Amino acid sequence: MPKYVMVIDQARCVGCMACVVACTLENSVPPEHYRTRVIEMVTGDFLNLRSEMRPELCNHCDDAPCVTVCPTGASHHKPDGTVQIDRSKCVGCKACIAACPYNARYINEEHGYADKCSFCEQRLRVGKQPACVATCIGKSRIFGDLNDPESEVSQKLRDNSYRVLKEAAGTSPNIYYINQFPKRM
Amino acid sequence: MIFSRRKFLKYAAVSAGSTLLAETPFLPARAREKVKADGSDVRYVPTTCEMCFWKCGVIAKVVDGKVVKLEGNPRHPQSRGRLCARGQGGIGLLYDKDRLKVPMIRTGPRGSGPRGENRYKQASWDEALGYVAKKLKEIAAKHGPEAVGLFAHGSSGTYFNNVVRAMGSANVAYPSFSQCLGARDVAWELTFGIKPNSTCERVDLANSRVIILFGTHLGENMHNSQTQEFAEAVGRGAKIIVVDPRYSTAASKASMWLPIKPGTDLALLLAWINIIISEGWYDKEYVKQYTTGFERLRKEVEQYTPAWAAQETDLPMDKIVEAVREIGRYAPNVLLHPGRHFSWHGNDTQRGRAMAIINALLGTWGRPGGLWLPPKVNLPTFSENPEHPEAKQDPVVFGDYPFAGGEGLTQELRKATLTGKPYPIKAWIVTGTNLIKTMPQQELTRKAIDSLDLLVAIDVMPTDTVMHADVILPECTYLERHDGLFTITTREAGIAIRQPAVKPLYQSRPGWWIGSELCKKLGLAQYAVKDTWEGRMRRQARTWGLDYDRLARVGYIPLTGSGRPYITKTNQPVFHTQSKKIELVSSDLDDEDFDVIPHYKPIEQPKKGEYRLLYGRSPVHTFTRTVNDLWLWELKKENEVWLNKHEARRLGIKDGEKVRLKNQDQVISDPIRARVTERIRRDCVFMVHGFGQHSPAMTRAYNRGADDQQLITRCKIDPICGVTGMRVNFVKILREA
Amino acid sequence: MELTITGANAITYPTLHIWDWRVAIYLFLGGLTGGLMTMSAVANLRPGKEVPRDEPCCWRIPVLAPIVLSIGMLFLFLDLEVKTHVYWFYLTFKPLSPMSWGSWILILIYPPMILYAFACLPDEMKTGMKKGWIRGLADAMRPRLRLLAKINFVGGVMLAIYTGILLSTFVARPLWNSAILPMLFLVSGMSTGTALMIIMAREDNVKLFFTQVDIWLIFTEILVLLLFFYGHYTSDAVHRNAIMPFFNTSHQFFPYFLSIIILWIVLPLAIVLKFLEVTADHSVKLTATGIFLMNTSAVLVLVGGLVVRFALVYAGQLSGYGPMM
Ligand SMILES: Nc1nc2c(c(=O)[nH]1)N[C@H]1C(S)=C(S)[C@@H](COP(=O)(O)OP(=O)(O)OC[C@H]3O[C@@H](n4cnc5c(=O)[nH]c(N)nc54)[C@H](O)[C@@H]3O)O[C@H]1N2
Ligand SMILES: Nc1nc2c(c(=O)[nH]1)N[C@H]1C(S)=C(S)[C@@H](COP(=O)(O)OP(=O)(O)OC[C@H]3O[C@@H](n4cnc5c(=O)[nH]c(N)nc54)[C@H](O)[C@@H]3O)O[C@H]1N2
Ligand code: SF4
Ligand code: SF4
Ligand code: SF4
Ligand code: SF4
Ligand code: SF4
Ligand SMILES: [Mo]
Repeated sequence: MPKYVMVIDQARCVGCMACVVACTLENSVPPEHYRTRVIEMVTGDFLNLRSEMRPELCNHCDDAPCVTVCPTGASHHKPDGTVQIDRSKCVGCKACIAACPYNARYINEEHGYADKCSFCEQRLRVGKQPACVATCIGKSRIFGDLNDPESEVSQKLRDNSYRVLKEAAGTSPNIYYINQFPKRM
Repeated sequence: MIFSRRKFLKYAAVSAGSTLLAETPFLPARAREKVKADGSDVRYVPTTCEMCFWKCGVIAKVVDGKVVKLEGNPRHPQSRGRLCARGQGGIGLLYDKDRLKVPMIRTGPRGSGPRGENRYKQASWDEALGYVAKKLKEIAAKHGPEAVGLFAHGSSGTYFNNVVRAMGSANVAYPSFSQCLGARDVAWELTFGIKPNSTCERVDLANSRVIILFGTHLGENMHNSQTQEFAEAVGRGAKIIVVDPRYSTAASKASMWLPIKPGTDLALLLAWINIIISEGWYDKEYVKQYTTGFERLRKEVEQYTPAWAAQETDLPMDKIVEAVREIGRYAPNVLLHPGRHFSWHGNDTQRGRAMAIINALLGTWGRPGGLWLPPKVNLPTFSENPEHPEAKQDPVVFGDYPFAGGEGLTQELRKATLTGKPYPIKAWIVTGTNLIKTMPQQELTRKAIDSLDLLVAIDVMPTDTVMHADVILPECTYLERHDGLFTITTREAGIAIRQPAVKPLYQSRPGWWIGSELCKKLGLAQYAVKDTWEGRMRRQARTWGLDYDRLARVGYIPLTGSGRPYITKTNQPVFHTQSKKIELVSSDLDDEDFDVIPHYKPIEQPKKGEYRLLYGRSPVHTFTRTVNDLWLWELKKENEVWLNKHEARRLGIKDGEKVRLKNQDQVISDPIRARVTERIRRDCVFMVHGFGQHSPAMTRAYNRGADDQQLITRCKIDPICGVTGMRVNFVKILREA
Repeated sequence: MELTITGANAITYPTLHIWDWRVAIYLFLGGLTGGLMTMSAVANLRPGKEVPRDEPCCWRIPVLAPIVLSIGMLFLFLDLEVKTHVYWFYLTFKPLSPMSWGSWILILIYPPMILYAFACLPDEMKTGMKKGWIRGLADAMRPRLRLLAKINFVGGVMLAIYTGILLSTFVARPLWNSAILPMLFLVSGMSTGTALMIIMAREDNVKLFFTQVDIWLIFTEILVLLLFFYGHYTSDAVHRNAIMPFFNTSHQFFPYFLSIIILWIVLPLAIVLKFLEVTADHSVKLTATGIFLMNTSAVLVLVGGLVVRFALVYAGQLSGYGPMM
């Protein structure tokens, strides 16, 4: 069984938002709703500025509070490690939205169910990369199987120090961030 | 306004749900193949993007006759399997409910609507084209064919260029020269005899060790493959040095940011040339073998010391020296990027010359990590129509500028229209350009339009310019038509295709058809398309020895073996200058009595309390053409004016507060939010171009943000090639009561 | 710092706002039901204090409890986005999901509640009835009254605690994420239940008894509330930040600040009023003023309970691990 994860090379993200639009159209995300976002954070003062680009999406947490709180089993783990939502079981109670420390979820207002990044499972099924990864202009988003030691994600995590977001929330997330800032020589 | 997004969502959702099984991984050989499952019909159509001019290869996924997703064609060198946000958002243009749908003819006098807008009636194509042809013939009969001018940008320019030239006019102007890259191209042609750009800038970013950017805000300037390579360079740890008064996205990736005083770039460049020569960083062999004029250059730049440059540019001297030593150290695998939008301050050709000279001294032309050499393309010429007649009158579009390029100067065509000199211009055909927003000095554009007998707009959206037209002809979008074949020249050359993913919506028609029908109605049938554009493309492919059906299937076919990017013993560069060498001292400029070596002249700086108005790009928009696109609009609905934090504090302006800008000519802008930031110098403000649409028919974009062009009431024209420097306006900031 | 976020969802940014007054009212009514169940059981079980069967505390309250709970459930139902899928609550049992738990607790709690209500029906109510199934059931349950009351006592406590657990399990929302929250909701539920008992009671000694009980409950509630804030204050940054809206007078947070002020006035005032009454001489019948004061203090307690739920539901959604990290 694969274990799908994403590694994000922040230094390579150029803030182009191609991922956001690709995700929206691939997954029929309604206007003004998002499964992924890009955060640009600039600190310091003129002449001494530093900027961080940080794409964010559902972390497909191993200890996913959204799955724990879901009363109907609509939010669930799949054997490939991803966290998915069975729309036909979702009552729209929104507990999962409150439970997610990453604010990764939203309600599809058209249909009422909770929704979030699915790692584009419909694409994975046919051997494609997730839409945001496939179009990532900076090749900042790297997707793959952590159980395969030869995969690019495994290599990246071997060769780089990495971090996860909001570790204190204790969710064991599966989006790994490397190179928080570009190298400065 | 209730946007029909529900409808859109409905079919999008259906397709996403029902095509899971039918989904095939993209296999180029199977593109366009029909897959039936669940009763839905899925096709993949390779074509070419036109959300900007980078010409990326696209694969459109079409489900039951609707385009549901656009992806990059992995074979195509401009996209490499990836599309930028705008490219992805092309669906928003295709299904924009505000699109132009039917031909329209103005009724009543100009501006007779209740709010001073034009009134229109719908017309059939036959009626509208008949009307245009009749008017054009009348004007040509009365004033001569040269009274018909064309403003064009983008693919459909070809077809109307054909119309105008067939009539016997050479008054054709593209903003891509005079408001964009003209001065840069001229500067490099004067120096190297070749432009630094063919389909794209020939910059070998992927292999560069040091990259210097002047402006060139890659990341915000989202030219696809170039930004991909930029990210590659950042990822590899290449040294990036960004010279920009604003902390751009590119600057945020840089190891050194030089926040230069705007308009003083030439001072920095000249000091660098001086250091490169005096400290011996230049490539001696290369300079000897390929350049002329070195000695004179050396002497003339001696005066430009780092200390002087520091003074002039407001940059620390040690940084100036450090930066140039860095690029010297790694030469020739380095690059001083030639830039693209270049009409800044009215001295632009000489700035371009200095940039070209540095590249020449460091030997980057033809070297890995520098600029690659253009590929060799030997395609037989193909034409199915007779040559255009010689224009009876010299065109007005070159003005008095000896180096004005073949794409013409838009503002010269406007000037002639306004003055009637040297002869009257009475009709404008405008296609693919939003002139009112694109050209500086908006008032002049409006006045010129008022003086016309006929303004025909061929466009896809009801833009500000379009809604001034007498006849509006709705072109279909790039996803609904044939164009091309396009010759794509990157490291290697290749041929790309544009073909419809879906049939034209409403009554819109492809540009080629409109142009061709117009020729027929003008009695110039010999210039019309024989049958269809696709038929013509097929014949062209045959002439070129290409398999058209394969091209239609895969979208891009490389011309294998055409690439020869780097200098080797057997692959020597060719310079089309007078001396056949790289001209550090320009003989062409000598002939026309310009400075043969760039010299620095200070430009006017803002007075106290004023800020220089700078502008640039948002990564999710292309000028004005995407601001109404649902998927891009929702990401950025309006622009902000960037204002330095200390200045904001001084003025008592808070982040997000609405302000207006008032320029030196007392023109006051639309309201715009202030973005209070550390990311810009104190002497300038910045805004993204393209916002502030005044046409209510653009329902989403209407009155969102402010238009930078409103404030560009003056421009400084480059005396060498006539491009309009547009960063020469100063503004004060007014708080909204 | 300059922060730009492209692609934020309105319901989670800049702060979460998924639950509104409907959920606050549900939590309030849930806690109130718990209080009613427990306290009516107390009324029925008080050793040595045989209360007349027709005392409203002893039968009206048990009848009211399932109705109040159902109204609460209705509010929760109104908050569901896909109401037609509500049956899924009962096609699954997710032992770690408080909501799933809650839905099953309800199933478990309704039958004893309803049977208890039947058992409590006084005889004069039954005499008016024909010999139908209601009467039959009521007659059958009467002998099991004490057992049912005991079950209701426990059930009420569980229900009130549950309403707090529901929120306290959200690690992502630091304000809620406190073990003290279920305690707070328990005492608050009990005291609001008691307050309603006081208002409904007819007999003086019952009124006085529950007034005494309520004094202790409110004392405890104030104490638990203080511990709740103190616990957050001495915890990590996200928890400390989570309580800040309550101590911030700025325009944006004013409602939260106000809620604290209200609680600081309402609860102690309720205690004082009650204290005055229980310490008065009760050899004579309660005066009209006395009853008025008692009822007023009970209403204050109900208001306090409502304010606590509203403040915590809304303020909890302001708290989080922040968009940055
Ligand atoms: N997303 C997106 N990308 C685009 C386009 C688009 O519309 N949208 N348009 C495309 C086109 S046609 C073009 S021409 C290019 C234009 O894009 P570029 O060629 O990159 O444009 P520039 O004007 O060089 O860059 C703008 C930057 O120059 C800085 N600048 C302003 N004045 C000065 C100055 O005096 N000196 C220096 N050193 N810097 C200065 C500004 O702060 C800003 O950051 O973008 C292309 N890419
Ligand atoms: N103030 C200011 N002025 C500028 C610039 C700036 O940054 N600031 N940038 C300059 C630069 S670099 C450039 S390149 C120019 C760009 O100038 P333009 O090319 O004029 O740019 P747009 O505003 O995108 O206008 C494009 C027009 O083409 C229409 N269009 C889109 N697709 C099609 C199509 O398929 N067929 C037809 N017929 N029409 C279509 C759009 O609706 C829109 O009306 O502007 C220049 N002018
Ligand atoms: S990021 Fe949020 S939604 Fe995604 S698995 Fe983790 S807790 Fe659940
Ligand atoms: S909203 Fe849907 S997915 Fe989320 S917890 Fe409730 S039932 Fe589960
Ligand atoms: S993996 Fe798919 S669903 Fe998730 S953010 Fe990327 S494109 Fe969206
Ligand atoms: S597509 Fe890639 S580079 Fe662009 S914003 Fe998204 S993550 Fe960053
Ligand atoms: S750069 Fe973006 S908008 Fe321009 S052609 Fe490529 S995909 Fe289209
Ligand atoms: Mo341009």
